[in-house]
Amino acid sequence: MSTIGRAVINKIPEVTSNPLGDNKIELIVPADKIREVVTIIDTELEDALPESAFGIDLENDQYEIIYIFWSWSTQTLVQLRVSLEGEKPEIESVCDIFPGLEWHEREFREMFGIDVKNHPDPRLLLLPDELDGAYPMRKRFQTDRSRLDETGISPPKPRPKPEGGDKQ
Amino acid sequence: MSPDILDEAMEIWFGPQHVSAHGWATKLTLVGDYVVECDPNAGYFHRSAEKVLEYKNFRQGSLVLERMCMLEAFLAEYPYVAAVETIAEIEVPERAKVMRTIMMELSRLHSIQFWWGQFNAELGFFTMALWPWVDREYSLDVFEELTGSRHTVSYSTPGGVKYDFTDKFMKQLHRAVDRFEDRLAKFRDMQMGSPTFRARTEGIGLYDAKQGLKWGLSGPPIKACGVPMDLRKDDPDPNLAYDMVDFEVPITENPEHPGSSDALDRMEQRFKEAEVAVDIVKQLLPQIPDGPIVNPKARGKANRLPEGEAYARVEGTRGVTSLWLKTLDKAQTAYRAKIRGPCIASYYALKDLVPGSKFADFIVIFGSLDPYPGWWDR
Repeated sequence: MSTIGRAVINKIPEVTSNPLGDNKIELIVPADKIREVVTIIDTELEDALPESAFGIDLENDQYEIIYIFWSWSTQTLVQLRVSLEGEKPEIESVCDIFPGLEWHEREFREMFGIDVKNHPDPRLLLLPDELDGAYPMRKRFQTDRSRLDETGISPPKPRPKPEGGDKQ
Repeated sequence: MSPDILDEAMEIWFGPQHVSAHGWATKLTLVGDYVVECDPNAGYFHRSAEKVLEYKNFRQGSLVLERMCMLEAFLAEYPYVAAVETIAEIEVPERAKVMRTIMMELSRLHSIQFWWGQFNAELGFFTMALWPWVDREYSLDVFEELTGSRHTVSYSTPGGVKYDFTDKFMKQLHRAVDRFEDRLAKFRDMQMGSPTFRARTEGIGLYDAKQGLKWGLSGPPIKACGVPMDLRKDDPDPNLAYDMVDFEVPITENPEHPGSSDALDRMEQRFKEAEVAVDIVKQLLPQIPDGPIVNPKARGKANRLPEGEAYARVEGTRGVTSLWLKTLDKAQTAYRAKIRGPCIASYYALKDLVPGSKFADFIVIFGSLDPYPGWWDR
């Protein structure tokens, strides 16, 4: 197990680990421990790059959030996996530790409806105002014609039947 | 800041229509000539690519990815292909690995050529805007000869590449690479020797590496601070041929402010990146092995993927470019695909970087980070 994995698990025994290959490690973190784990990553890996943070909809009100950090000098990739439950799941913001994660948190808030507690700027990021609260990256968000009314686009006219086909 | 000063403040929307705003809208609060607050607003380019990927099969997916950044299309589509190859356990022929790497480095060079033109046009330095764009035509002709398309190339496919190098293409490629090598030295003299350009960029948009990493910056904006962080060396993709070439990670160290970079250093860094890209292509050209260009079993394997997760990364022109893919068993489409573009960080870093600088310097700082909205808005 990599050094960072040991450092985290020694301090927070609720965290479990899962190796992903050379110098790549996944830590499964309880939702209420996320701030502590990210703080340890910040202190242990001096050059940690907050690569990504994003949500996954596992359906039936189950969600996951994945945070990815990369440290080039130790060549360590840390992937944190947090499981969340409920209609309005919540997680605490970590963007005061890594300012680069502020936008990702805004994104999974608007796309998956995962509330970010203590976020300094909880506005929509990519979506237009009409889609506030629609959470389009959830699996239950319909992308077929059933939502045509909301868009204000007129429905396509039925195609005219081909004429003169059977005259001969 | 006392509230009285803000009484005099003026708000200016920079973009989204302004061409130098790259399709983003940045709200700047000005007091006199100085920016006191910068509020970046993305989303004007949002095409819901991640949702689209949930409906496309694994051979179509890379076409969505290359539309994220058409300037570096060979690089942009690659993380998706690599993630599919990892989950489906597809092996890639040696010949395809080398061909991919050559085209990816040329793509990097093309993207930098475009950026030179765009950045210098923003600064009003039109000679250096038009010269690189003449060379860019040569890159595009090479892409067109190979794939039939100048921007949306769709070259890599799970298990290899789609088109083989022909004799005519090789001749064109050699001619283009020789030309680039010649012209790079000329460009450098023209650009770095220009006292106007130096005066315009020296000391502008200064940040140190530690701060840059916290914002999530990677690639040239970090390497310009003297940090040799490069995925081509640190975590090379097994299906690319970077192990066959001998190159140093290009970094820029400015003795006046060690560990930090300003707009001038970032320009210098782009020259080094371009030189290394040409060098890698030149080293790889004589080493292309014979053999098939695509694994014949790949087409079947990529039709239905087993359950799995993969995270594939590549060093893009602007920094770490990656894709995280999750599939369910016997999947024909992705369950979740997360695109990580490098410009994610470089646009929102402006929020902390710009306040305190002059309004006229905003475009220098913005342009020197090489933002591309497709990468962030997706």
